[in-house]
Amino acid sequence: MIRETKILSARFDKPESWKLDGFRRDGGYETYLSALKTRKPGELVAEVKASGLKGRGGAGFSTGTKWSFIPEGIGKPVYLCVNGDESEPGTFKDRQILERDPHQLLEGVGLTCYAIGAHTAWVYLRCEFAEGLRKVQAAIDEAYAAKLFGKNIAGSGFDLDVHLHLGAGAYICGEETSLLNSIEGLRPYPRNKPPFPAVEGLFGCPTIINNVETIANIPHIVKRGAAWYAGLGHKEDPGARLWCVSGHVKTCGVWEIETGFSLQELIDSPQFCGGIRDGRRLKAVIPGGSSSRVLTADEVRQTTMDVPCMKRVNSSLGSAGIIVLDETADMADVALNLMKFYAHESCGQCTPCREGTPWVVKVLDRIVHGRGRLEDMDLLLDIADNMEGRTVCALADGACWPLVSIVQKFRPEFEAHLARAHRAAVAGVGA
Amino acid sequence: MINLSINGRKLAVKPGSTILEAAATLGLEIPHYCYHPDIGIDGNCRMCVVQVGQNTRKLAIACQLPCTEGMDVQTESPAVVKARKGILEFLLINHPLDCTICDQAGECPLQDYAYRFGPGDSRFVEKKGKKAKHVAFSDTVMFDGERCILCTRCTRFFEQVRGSRPIGVENMGGKSTITLGPNGPITDPYQMNIIDICPVGALTSRDFRFRQRVWFMDFAQTVCPGCARGCNITAGSYQGKLLRFSPRRNPDVNKSWMCDDGRLSYRQYNLTARTRGATVLGEPATQPAALDKVRELVGDGSGVAVLASTRSTCEDLFALKTWASGAGIKALWHGAASWAGDDMLKLPDATPNTAGARELGFTPVPDKPGAAVGGKLRVLVVAGDVAVPAALLADLDALVLQAPVAGALGAAAAVLLPGRTPLEKKGTLVNATGQRQPIKPALDPGAGVPEDWTLWRDLARAGWPTLLHLQAEMARAGCAPGLARKATVEEHALSQRASVLTGQP
Repeated sequence: MIRETKILSARFDKPESWKLDGFRRDGGYETYLSALKTRKPGELVAEVKASGLKGRGGAGFSTGTKWSFIPEGIGKPVYLCVNGDESEPGTFKDRQILERDPHQLLEGVGLTCYAIGAHTAWVYLRCEFAEGLRKVQAAIDEAYAAKLFGKNIAGSGFDLDVHLHLGAGAYICGEETSLLNSIEGLRPYPRNKPPFPAVEGLFGCPTIINNVETIANIPHIVKRGAAWYAGLGHKEDPGARLWCVSGHVKTCGVWEIETGFSLQELIDSPQFCGGIRDGRRLKAVIPGGSSSRVLTADEVRQTTMDVPCMKRVNSSLGSAGIIVLDETADMADVALNLMKFYAHESCGQCTPCREGTPWVVKVLDRIVHGRGRLEDMDLLLDIADNMEGRTVCALADGACWPLVSIVQKFRPEFEAHLARAHRAAVAGVGA
Repeated sequence: MINLSINGRKLAVKPGSTILEAAATLGLEIPHYCYHPDIGIDGNCRMCVVQVGQNTRKLAIACQLPCTEGMDVQTESPAVVKARKGILEFLLINHPLDCTICDQAGECPLQDYAYRFGPGDSRFVEKKGKKAKHVAFSDTVMFDGERCILCTRCTRFFEQVRGSRPIGVENMGGKSTITLGPNGPITDPYQMNIIDICPVGALTSRDFRFRQRVWFMDFAQTVCPGCARGCNITAGSYQGKLLRFSPRRNPDVNKSWMCDDGRLSYRQYNLTARTRGATVLGEPATQPAALDKVRELVGDGSGVAVLASTRSTCEDLFALKTWASGAGIKALWHGAASWAGDDMLKLPDATPNTAGARELGFTPVPDKPGAAVGGKLRVLVVAGDVAVPAALLADLDALVLQAPVAGALGAAAAVLLPGRTPLEKKGTLVNATGQRQPIKPALDPGAGVPEDWTLWRDLARAGWPTLLHLQAEMARAGCAPGLARKATVEEHALSQRASVLTGQP
């Protein structure tokens, strides 16, 4: 039986849940303040590592392991950047945290900075989150006024400054090294790795970049212990996540559920999505934001939402943006829609992505508008083969995965476009 | 040292070397566009993909990845060959393919790599993207956005070499293009370097464009005569007329750069009127007769001074000095010319061999030239292209003038001898930092203009049948030890290294 586990979302529906007073009445910042006095930074890193928490931004890398990559004793400041550039199509979970419980995030920022030895943190938000950025800025101001940030916090000797930094609306800024360039005032081209940001990041200093949801989990893990968190959900991919469901379901929304549940059940359950709209049949699901491989209705029935299962069905949980498509969806058109996004958002740095994504759009556009050719499907697959793994960042990969999976799994729909075009042409000649 | 293998060939390289640099030591060219040895790594073009180990899905870029112990690099594996073809296909789909009217054709890495590594035809049946064309970035640089492959060598040249940002990338994705910044046309005095480092025809020289197809041109590897830096250049000419100078990489002197003033100075070496054959007292004379006249005028050398040009080669000056010393001339002076220097390469000394002249014992013109020669300056021998201070001419009995262009002094000369410009000479120059560099003739001056050093040789009745004999004599005399051999070895090594890494001729 699928049910919600409210951890991050526990306070979402409280009145003025974004205000400091209410947050502190619910025990907020206690974990942070007590950790500053009673716990060693290394303990916190170990705790987070043991919890099994994975990055919630999309790549799903172990958070504690990432923290442990910071080199010791190199005499440079360490920075934390919180990635709130949530732009992955189908994803709207970080926004909930930013707008409805920003102090939860800031407590996580405080604990993370303490754990990794950072005294400066940037919370990077996309500028379209007007409400979120107002709430976060107000929360930062409240935290400073309450001396939760600043110099010598609560007499612990720990200093911390937290800055809000706004992006200007480019998807690529959510790529962690682009985000760093954006903060530095440079054109947000992703950087080559190595060096990884944990070694050489913002302004050349060791930098940890974590997603909003990842950071919001930290106070809970520190407070309740690694064992508690590791016991949630699937044992190989523990925790609860904020799942965003959009598309052709009766009820769209964000729900916090432990990993390992059945995707079909989520879609069908009356407490959650309530089934497909208008009594139609399910055709496909993109399970982890638009940059994940599409699942067919048959695959959805066998899918549980956890990393091991996603490996089996050759897709990914990504940013937990579940996009549901019913039988009326034209998959060639879906591919075109998605690829327009990637072509528009390609930063233009690397040749394959800059040239490949608009090319794919042009080919798909022809197919959808009745000017497709038989060889176009193989051409699309080969263009994707020349893009995937050939670029600095994963944007091109993220474009290729849905594209290739759609072409491979729904090829008859593409061929139907060709047949329709052919019939129209014959009819045109006849008339 | 780090041990690795590239295509099965084992080698050891210095720690920190990239795969591209390691391959270059094997003489193996890994094709690349965005990487340039003097502006560094960017990793955007993806042309230099190589396979490391068995990972064929995620290929490495050779320009950026440092070598590690035991690394197994493949530059010709099926995955690499296909990826490279794919990159070239991507680069070409929106490229106008207007090689027939493009000045870069013939020296274009996009063209060259397309032939060597490209797919041969295109699967692109869509409309090509449109971008701004023939945009004047300045009086000297023209930009074509459709030819551009966005390697950003040009923007990075300004950022990293010049510390400025007159141009940058505008827009995103397929609409990305290089654009002028808010301050308008580029004014940087080194801006024309972006034309050379541009691997395609996106940046062309407004001075050179449409003037000649490069495959019809002749090229000489020589040294810019514009100042004492001695930037290494390739002088391009067509049918005896210089059309351009472009920098040639020498990491110790000018890296890959030269100043725009030096670059455009090629014009002054296309002489319209010049001295041909010898003249005595205004009448054409045979060379032996003219030289006899010089001997007669010089006499025992008392009251005679030599004023040498610092545009002359060390060989010219050595031969001149040999004759002058033998003829009893004690005053060996050199001229000077200056222009405004700058903070990068351009030096105030606007001649290329002042250091060479000093090394051979030539000194600046003294304040009291008469006193320096024991009372009265009777005869002045002007050797080469040099501005003659008026004070030297005031009380002269006779002037011997040897120069490519006689100019206003020609009429006053008792003996007038022909001379060559630095672009017509073979020999060596010593720059301000002491590097001895070979120059080679880009132009043939034609009949009646012998090599300068042969005049002094004949005057001295010395027995050097060729320049090599003279250079051997110089080496024996302790001037420029080991010169001849060193020059050729260096030249060879530099041209090898330069073409493998810069992708430029």
